[in-house]
Amino acid sequence: MLRAENLRKAYRRHAVTVPVLNGLNLDVRAGEFLSVVGASGSGKSTLLHLLGTLDAPDGGAVYLDGRRIDNLPPRGRDALRNKTFGYVFQFYHLLPELNTLDNVLMPAYIAHSAVGWWRSRAGWRSRAGELLERVGLGHRLAHRPRELSGGELQRAAVARALLTNPRVLLADEPTGNLDADTGAEIVRLLREINRQDGVTIVMVTHNLEIVAATDRVVRMAGGLVAEDHPKPAPHFQLMAV
Amino acid sequence: MYKLLLCGRYLRTRYLAFVCIVSVMLGVATLIVVNAVMSGFSTKLKDRLHGVLSDVVVDTDNLAGFADPPDVLMAKIKAGPAGPKIAAVTPTVEVFAIMQFRAGHPGGPLITKPVRLIGIDPAGRAAVGGFSEYLVRQKDAPAPSFDLTADALARYEANKRGREREDATLAVPEAPPAQAIRLPDAPPPPDAAAMTAGMPVAKLYGAFPGYALAHLRYTNEAGKLVEETALYPGDAVTVTTVGGETLRPVSGTFLVADYLKTEMSEYDQSFVYVPLEQLQAIRGMSGRCSALQIKLKDYEADKASVTAELQKLFPYRDVRVNTWEDQQGPLLQAIDVERGILNILLFLIVGVAGFSILAIFTMIVSEKYRDIGVMKALGASSGGVMSIFLGYGLLLGAVGCGLGTALGLWITEHINDIEAALTKLTGRAVFPRDVYYFKDIPTNIDPAVVGLVNAGAVAVAVVFSLLPAWRAARLHPVRALRFE
Repeated sequence: MLRAENLRKAYRRHAVTVPVLNGLNLDVRAGEFLSVVGASGSGKSTLLHLLGTLDAPDGGAVYLDGRRIDNLPPRGRDALRNKTFGYVFQFYHLLPELNTLDNVLMPAYIAHSAVGWWRSRAGWRSRAGELLERVGLGHRLAHRPRELSGGELQRAAVARALLTNPRVLLADEPTGNLDADTGAEIVRLLREINRQDGVTIVMVTHNLEIVAATDRVVRMAGGLVAEDHPKPAPHFQLMAV
Repeated sequence: MYKLLLCGRYLRTRYLAFVCIVSVMLGVATLIVVNAVMSGFSTKLKDRLHGVLSDVVVDTDNLAGFADPPDVLMAKIKAGPAGPKIAAVTPTVEVFAIMQFRAGHPGGPLITKPVRLIGIDPAGRAAVGGFSEYLVRQKDAPAPSFDLTADALARYEANKRGREREDATLAVPEAPPAQAIRLPDAPPPPDAAAMTAGMPVAKLYGAFPGYALAHLRYTNEAGKLVEETALYPGDAVTVTTVGGETLRPVSGTFLVADYLKTEMSEYDQSFVYVPLEQLQAIRGMSGRCSALQIKLKDYEADKASVTAELQKLFPYRDVRVNTWEDQQGPLLQAIDVERGILNILLFLIVGVAGFSILAIFTMIVSEKYRDIGVMKALGASSGGVMSIFLGYGLLLGAVGCGLGTALGLWITEHINDIEAALTKLTGRAVFPRDVYYFKDIPTNIDPAVVGLVNAGAVAVAVVFSLLPAWRAARLHPVRALRFE
């Protein structure tokens, strides 16, 4: 479904070029819950950004359902990020000026003009309400981000990522800023979404305990896929993390 | 939709933005007030100038006036191509003179003033311009006259008696003749009554001096402005000017019948209107005039064509045909230039507001780095992000303009109350009446100017938010999401 082919990416700072991805190949299957692990600087987040068209590769290509998406014009990539991909970040990144409901509605606000929003607002509000109920925040609609706990913030971020019924959810260390119990709760939620809604999930994480909940684990090293383990066992151990 | 939502939220939650709003508001309010006052002055000045000067003036440099009598001249004008466009014409004689009078009473100090003596037919003069609206006693009279009121006549008689008493007091008693030598064939002494019987009685001629000529203003020891009446109705003034045919001094006496109060210091301090026929008689130019005052039916539409026609009708070197605007051109131009310069300078206040928008928006964009990255990750385009900040600038400008317009209009409406309060507070006249001769600070709100100021201020707000908005739009989402 989502395929990275010979992906290359380097960051330049002043005269120094730091290669991050060195011809990486990866195939993400539809409905799969894939976790990507690896040491810091191994290129996990960069891979996620390239898969989600948030950044452009220096070389190689990204395909979605066989269609190349990394070289789409900006408008096409914006539409993909709005409708096809959902993002969950380590630091939640909810907008502080908006309450929980408006934060969850943000992808719909972005998708519509004022008139379009006016016409479809009831449907979107109902959908956002359902998602917030599902993640256990039905009673926190009017609260601002500063009034929510870390776990609540991340659940709101998951609800926001699901609003437009995306096909792929890209989660960048979604438990990285949470305690173990809250982190496990978020992973359970993602697993449920993956199973019930059939959403493909690519999750970058450092936490080996939670990868057991995923369908497949990929370890990155030196800008390449070093290990690829389908169906990890409950007490799965990677070779070199 | 997110652009509107975030613009509104940023406006409500970023208190720093109120600095921009206040800057724009003060700039807009200042521009509206200054323009309203300048326009008020300009309009009032034009009204006054136009009131005292008729629409078109045909005058001659010849000391003796036009060669033809006024009736012939007026008939010539009315019969010409410009005739149908003319509503009224009246002849005048205008000459510089020296006016002397005793201030306050016959024994008061002798005051001498240079004046502009204008001989008019009051009804005719009222017909060509808003002359009578500036008369104090006969304000708005359709046909004002130089006739004296009973009170004025009584004062004149009292003054006369006072002068006679004074003369009698000052007169040296004559010594009785030692011995009258009477020649046997000498004629009998003349009988004064018999000599004057049947002769015309001396006529009293009225005059309308400018209000400031008849009222002396000065600051007393307490620093307070005092106004004292120097000429009451019925008081005599003597004017000395030059004759019409030759350069010889001639003089005449007139009695104050009314005052002219235009609230234009230049006119109120120098104009003295007297009966046309009497000034003609004094100057030895009976039946002639030095100027023709013309009122047009539609000034704005016909001023150019009538002026051109009249110039053809009077193709003489010593004759000038001018509209009232031509006559006061430099003054009106000076006001316009002054207004333009003031507008440019004051618009710098809005420029300063623009720079505060630039600085504050740059700060806000830096502060919102991660939020911008999140919005781009959720599908917002660079153009959309740019629109948020441009819209924010537009909103700040619009709110600032709205508040500034309300404040500016309120200040303009209450400017005289504010001036009175400031004068009371500081103990110094902010708007000295003796300088301007206006009772109040004149204001005139031009909706077009208010609209222009608002449009300019909003444009400045948007232009100065362009750079931070462009920076926000260019921000790479990955860099923004990593920003700490």
